[in-house]
Amino acid sequence: MTQDLLGLATDLAGRAKGGEVVEAFLTHELNFYVKVFSGEVEALSASEPRGAGVRVFSEGRVGFSYTTDLSAGGRGAMLDAARENASFVTPDEAIGPAEPTDGPPPEIEGMVDRGQEDVRPDSKVRFALELDRATAARDKRVRAVEESVYSDSDTEIAIATSNGISGTYRRTDAWCFSLAIAEEDDDTQVGFEFDLARGLNHLDAVDVGQRAADIALTALGASKIPSARMPVVFEPFTAGQFLGVLGQALTGEAVQKGRSLFAGRTGDTVAASGLTLFDDGRLPGAPGSAPWDDEGVPTSRTDIIAGGVLRSFLYDSISARREGRASTGNASRSGFKSVPGAAPSNLALESTGQSRDELLQGAGKVLLVQDFHGVHSGANPVSGDFSVGVTGMLLDGGEIVQPVKEVTIAAPMLEILSNIRAVADDRRWLPFGGSFGGATTLVSEMTVGGL
Amino acid sequence: MIAPDVIQRTLGAALAAGGDLAEIFVEDRTSMALRLDDSRIEDVTSGRDVGAGIRVLAGDRASYAYTNLLTEESLRTTAEAARAGLECPAGSVETDLRRVVGGGHSVVVRPEDVGAADKAATLVKANDAARSQGAEVRQVMVSYADVRQKVLIASSDGRLAEDDRTRVRFAVQVVAARNGEIATGFEAPGHSGGFELLQRYDVEDLGRSAASKALRMLDARPSPAGEFPVVLAPGTGGVLIHEACGHGLEADTLVKEASAYAKRHGERFGSEAVTIVDDATETGLWGSFGVDDEGTPAQSTVLFEKGVLVGHMSDVLSAEKIGHPPTGNGRRQSYAHLPIVRMTNTNLLPGDDDPEEIIRSVERGVYAATFAGGEVNPATGNFVFGMSEAYMIENGAIAYPIKGAQLIGNGPRVLGVIDAIGSDFGRKEGVCGKDGQHAPVTNGMSTVLLGKMTVGGTEAG
Repeated sequence: MTQDLLGLATDLAGRAKGGEVVEAFLTHELNFYVKVFSGEVEALSASEPRGAGVRVFSEGRVGFSYTTDLSAGGRGAMLDAARENASFVTPDEAIGPAEPTDGPPPEIEGMVDRGQEDVRPDSKVRFALELDRATAARDKRVRAVEESVYSDSDTEIAIATSNGISGTYRRTDAWCFSLAIAEEDDDTQVGFEFDLARGLNHLDAVDVGQRAADIALTALGASKIPSARMPVVFEPFTAGQFLGVLGQALTGEAVQKGRSLFAGRTGDTVAASGLTLFDDGRLPGAPGSAPWDDEGVPTSRTDIIAGGVLRSFLYDSISARREGRASTGNASRSGFKSVPGAAPSNLALESTGQSRDELLQGAGKVLLVQDFHGVHSGANPVSGDFSVGVTGMLLDGGEIVQPVKEVTIAAPMLEILSNIRAVADDRRWLPFGGSFGGATTLVSEMTVGGL
Repeated sequence: MIAPDVIQRTLGAALAAGGDLAEIFVEDRTSMALRLDDSRIEDVTSGRDVGAGIRVLAGDRASYAYTNLLTEESLRTTAEAARAGLECPAGSVETDLRRVVGGGHSVVVRPEDVGAADKAATLVKANDAARSQGAEVRQVMVSYADVRQKVLIASSDGRLAEDDRTRVRFAVQVVAARNGEIATGFEAPGHSGGFELLQRYDVEDLGRSAASKALRMLDARPSPAGEFPVVLAPGTGGVLIHEACGHGLEADTLVKEASAYAKRHGERFGSEAVTIVDDATETGLWGSFGVDDEGTPAQSTVLFEKGVLVGHMSDVLSAEKIGHPPTGNGRRQSYAHLPIVRMTNTNLLPGDDDPEEIIRSVERGVYAATFAGGEVNPATGNFVFGMSEAYMIENGAIAYPIKGAQLIGNGPRVLGVIDAIGSDFGRKEGVCGKDGQHAPVTNGMSTVLLGKMTVGGTEAG
C-alpha cells in the first residue's frame, strides 16, 4: 500500500482539542471485478478507493463526517464538520469512545492470502471464463448463463483515537458467482451459486459453475403444492439468510430500543432445548473475522442462545455503556462513510451432529427450501413475522418427489427457533451484510401457502 | 468540474490502445443526515465524496476504473487502468465536445442553506407527534437526509453533459407494542428538490400516520394462505408494476434473453386499461433527473400500451445491442459503479373505476395497504411482495388487519389478472437494488383489483 494510513489516522486523532476524543477510521482498497457473458468478458473494473471518517466525542455528544479528499485541507474540513455536527446531538452519558485495551489483540490466522498478490488480472479473467464455461457446459438444457463474476479486494484498515487506540490490519477477499438459466418444455428456472475465500487459488470455478447449473436443472418442471402445515428443511444458503434476518434483532441497541423480537426475553427459553447460537469474530477462515472491530475493540465469541436459553446480545461501545457492561467487539461499519453500529461478525448455529444425508433421510416428507424470495419485505426482525416466497423440492426420506415453486412459507421467528430439530454439520459462510453460517436445518412445522 | 482540455486528453489516453468509446463520469457528492432515535438526536453526519470513473467500450465489452483523485495525472493513470482490460484497434476522440442539455431541476430552499438545528427540529416534531398517539407507541426513529450530487459526463463521441441533483428524504419508523405483540409503521416521502419537501409534507402528519399504522397492525390476525382476489392500495401497489413488469423490460436482461418478456414485443399481456410508462422527466420526483448517468437526456418511455408490450428501457450499451437509441435509463450509484439499466418513475396510468366500488366488488379477499418491498426474478418473472399493512376484505368491506401476508405470482401473468383500475392515482418513493447498486425510484398506481393471486401467510385457507 502506497499511503501511510495509520500515519493519517494518528495525525487526525492528534488534532483533538481539550475535552475531546477524536477517532479516525481509514480504509484503502484495491478492487478487481470481471463479469463474463456468453464466453466473452462483458465488464471489467479495477480501482483503488480510499477515504476517511472521523468521530469527535465531547461532553456526551458525538459528531461524524467523512471525506475522500485526504489532503490536509480535506482532512481539516472533515474534522471541522464532525465537530460542528456534534453540537446538534442530544447529550447522553452513554455516548463516548471505545476504551483502549492493554496491548494489541492477537492477530487472526489467515486474513491475508499471500499468494493472491501474485495472481495476475489475466488469471482472474481466465477464472471467470472458466466459471461461465463450466456452468454452460453442464447440460444442454442450460440455455444461458446470465452472468459469471469473479471479484476480489485487498483492504487495509487503520484506526487511531486520541485516547490511545491505534492499529492497522489487512485482509484479502476473493469471491465468485454464476447465474444459470435452464429451460425445458417452456419452463424456465434459474440457479445461483457462489463461493468466497481469501484468494482466487482457494476458489473452484468448475465446482461453482456446475452447482449453479444443477440448481436450475433440478428445479425444471417445478409446480405449486397444496397449502399445508408441514416440516421444512432450510438449505445452508437459506439457513444463512434466516440468520441474517435474526442477526438484526440480536444487537444490544435493537433490544434497548424495543426494536427486536428478543426484547425483554433474556433468560427465557427462546429456541429448541439443544440449540446454541453464537457469534465469533475470531474464527480463522470465516469471512467476518478481524482482530478488532470497527471501533478498535478486540473481537470475541459471544454465546447468544445456549441450550435454547437467551443469554446475551451483541454490543458496540455505546450500547454496552448503556447497560454498564463491556463491548463484545461487534462494532461494524459498512465503510468509511458510515458511523459504526453493533452487528454480527460470524453468526451461526452449532451443529447438532448429523450429516446432511442423515438429517434428510430421517425427516420423512419435507419441503426443502433452496431459495427465499422477498426476505427483505417478508421477514420482520422487530415483530418476528416471517413469511417469504420459496423455491425448493418436495422430498420424502431424502428422495426427490417434485420440484416446487411459487409457494410461501410462514411462521413467527420464535416458533421457527423452537421447532428446529436438527442442524447438520455442513456449515458454509454466507455474506449478507455480515457473515452468517448456514447449515442444513430441519424445522418441524411451518405453514406452506400454495394451491 | 474538470477543464474541457483535461477531459479530452483523459479520453484520448483511455482510447490510446483502442476501443469504440471512452467516457468519463465525474461526481462531487455532498450529503448531510440526521437521525433521531429513542427521543434523542443520536447522529448528525455529513461528508463529501469526490471521484471519477472512466469506462472504455470495445465491442460488447466494458472496461472500467475509478479514482478519488481528480488531478490530470491521476485521471490519466485511471484511463490507462481502464483500457488495460481491452485489446482492440485504436479508436478516436471527437475534438468538439457538444453539450447535451437535460431537463431542469427545481430547488426552492437549498438544504445547505438550512441550519442543522432547523433540520433537527423537524425530527423532534415528528417524534413528538408519533408519541402523542398513545403509550403503545414504544419506539420512534426519524431520519432526514439531503444529498447534492453534481455530475459531469463526457464521452469520446463528443457528448458533454452536466447535472446538478439535489434529493431530500424524510423517514419515520414507529414500533408499537401491546401484550407481547409488536407492530411497525413507516412513512418515508422524498423528492428531487430542496428542503421545501418539509413544507409540502407536514412532519407531524407523517409522525402520526406512521404511528397509527403501527397501532392498527397491533390488532392484526395472522394472514391466511391460499388464493384470493387482492386489492392494491394507490401508490404502494406501484412496486408490483416495478418488480413484475419493469425489471424484465430493462434491456440488459432482454438482450441476454434473461427476461420473461424477451422476444414478446407486440404481445398482449393485459386489458385495454393497462398502460405502463417509465418517466424520468417529471420535475421534482424522487426518481427524476436532467440527464442520466451516461449523459442521455431524461425521457418518458411507454412500456405497455393498452395491454400490449411496446417498449423497453436501455442504456448506451444495451441500446446498441438491441438496435434502438438509448432511452435514458443508464444509471449508477456513484462513480465507483458501472452504469446499468434502471427504472426511474414507473407508473401504471390511472383508469376509470371507482376505488370504493372496487373494494365493494370483493366478497373475500386481501387489501394490500402498504408493501414493505418485493423482489422478482427477471428470467422467470416470478415475484414476491411482503405487505407491512394489510386487511381482509369480507363481503365488500375492509374487515380486520392481517399480518405476515405475502403476495406471490408471475410478472407476465399478473397484468392479465388486473380486473379494475381506479382513478385515484398515487406515488411512493423507494430505493431499488440491482447488481448491488441502489437507485432512487418512484412507483405509481391507483387502486387496482387483481382477480386471483397466491397469498402467503401463517393460517391455512
